[in-house]
Amino acid sequence: MRLEGKVALISGGARGMGAEEALLFAKEGARVVIGDVLEGEGRDIAAQIPGGQAIFVRLDVTRESDWQRAVSMAEEVYKRLDILVNNAGVSATGGIEDTTVEEWDRVMEVNAKGVFLGTKHAIPAMQRSGGGSIINISSQLGIVAMNESSPQYIASKGAVRLLTKSTALQYAADGIRCNSVHPGPIVTPMTMGRRSDDDVRELMESRIPLGRYGEAIDVAYGVLYLASDEASFMTGSELVIDGGWVAQ
Amino acid sequence: MAERPPRLEGKVAIITGAGSSGAGIGNGKAAAILMAREGARVLLVDQVEDRARETLEIITSEGGEASTFQGDMTSLDDCERMAQTAVDRYGRVDILDNNVGISQRGTVVEVSEADWDRVMNVNLKTMVLAAKAVIPRMIETGGGSIINISSIAGLRAHMSTPYTASKAGVIGLTISMAADHAQDNIRVNAIAPGLVYTPMVAPRMDDDLRQYRRNSAPMQVEGTGWDIGYAALFLASDEARWITGIVLPVDAGLCAVHPGTYSPMSQQTRY
Repeated sequence: MRLEGKVALISGGARGMGAEEALLFAKEGARVVIGDVLEGEGRDIAAQIPGGQAIFVRLDVTRESDWQRAVSMAEEVYKRLDILVNNAGVSATGGIEDTTVEEWDRVMEVNAKGVFLGTKHAIPAMQRSGGGSIINISSQLGIVAMNESSPQYIASKGAVRLLTKSTALQYAADGIRCNSVHPGPIVTPMTMGRRSDDDVRELMESRIPLGRYGEAIDVAYGVLYLASDEASFMTGSELVIDGGWVAQ
Repeated sequence: MAERPPRLEGKVAIITGAGSSGAGIGNGKAAAILMAREGARVLLVDQVEDRARETLEIITSEGGEASTFQGDMTSLDDCERMAQTAVDRYGRVDILDNNVGISQRGTVVEVSEADWDRVMNVNLKTMVLAAKAVIPRMIETGGGSIINISSIAGLRAHMSTPYTASKAGVIGLTISMAADHAQDNIRVNAIAPGLVYTPMVAPRMDDDLRQYRRNSAPMQVEGTGWDIGYAALFLASDEARWITGIVLPVDAGLCAVHPGTYSPMSQQTRY
């Protein structure tokens, strides 16, 4: 198994890509701490993973004390932390003139500051474990812009892209790798609202060379690869999973 | 928990440059061994058949299924024979992993025209011709995955201008082929290996230089053919079914930092 003996903490693990990652990691032998603000759904995912291989912890990624508790839980229950997936995120739409300061702050808090806080508190635990792998979920919109999104979403995902490289550089000597993943449009609860609009869905599909939205599992497999020792020579890299969007 | 099925179950892979030019494990050899371990049937292509046979012996000893093909990938005829051989032996082609490559140092002033042509032919044209032969066969069976081995030298100056130009060409080829053949369900991706210790570079290495190369990237470790092989395995598999047109650096962080952070250009003269 590709993650045998490893312990992973996944933010936003209650549904969408995070839930898929939790289930896949467990199949590959990891023990998983599922962090999310969605308690019911998060506990359901943990319950789908047999044999004490998963626990749920309430995690609002914008609250430092929540991160401290989540990392402590991993170390208390499973004795170590090897993998952090900074997956939690929120989306937004709109133009810059119409965006309020509150809307800007909300997205930057979750998508950028959440990654900062998770990284900050996972690093000491990974140092105690002798190394680790951090995977930050950015977006194809961390690389290219799109009018149908929003300035704060795009800026937040750009922040994640380079925070990743900063972390990779700073902790390489500790054997802690850090890579970013850049999903294109994925079928998840986060994108459900806009996908249900036929015009939007068709527009998006027309921009994807492979012709369809991605599934959460398509991203989860990329995250698994980066989490595993198969990627032990990779840090600071961007793994784009977007059906060919940014290659055009 | 139940054992998962092999990651390349039922698939057929062509690996060019599947032998190594010396003792040890190069990128192509590692990819071939890993793909066979994950259930692929593998056509091991090399210009020197004995080199492909060494890889075959490893795969056979592990219970995998593979066979060799001797061919010069700068020849379209040989590429056509290679693609047809895969179909004749195994019924289909799902994966093409283009590894063939050589080093070439020097500035444009220093490099001879003949050496320039040679490195562009071996590093770039081989990938064009192999894909040209394989893609129609992939279309017949519903699609496939092509992996082109570029280099971080295709993204950064590396004191090897002809090599860098050829490897940057591989990146352009990759993104353009990805766009051309997405509708055929053929994915095309590039891997950009960093400073890996393989039989290709071994002849010009000594202990000091290997240490210098380790120190050149944030992780301060030496990569191997296995690191590149695992990346190729991932991109070849259906796990990467929504990934096309990407360039994946596998480089211990070298491209993530300012190129001069660990190895100032002025000190690069030795490698």
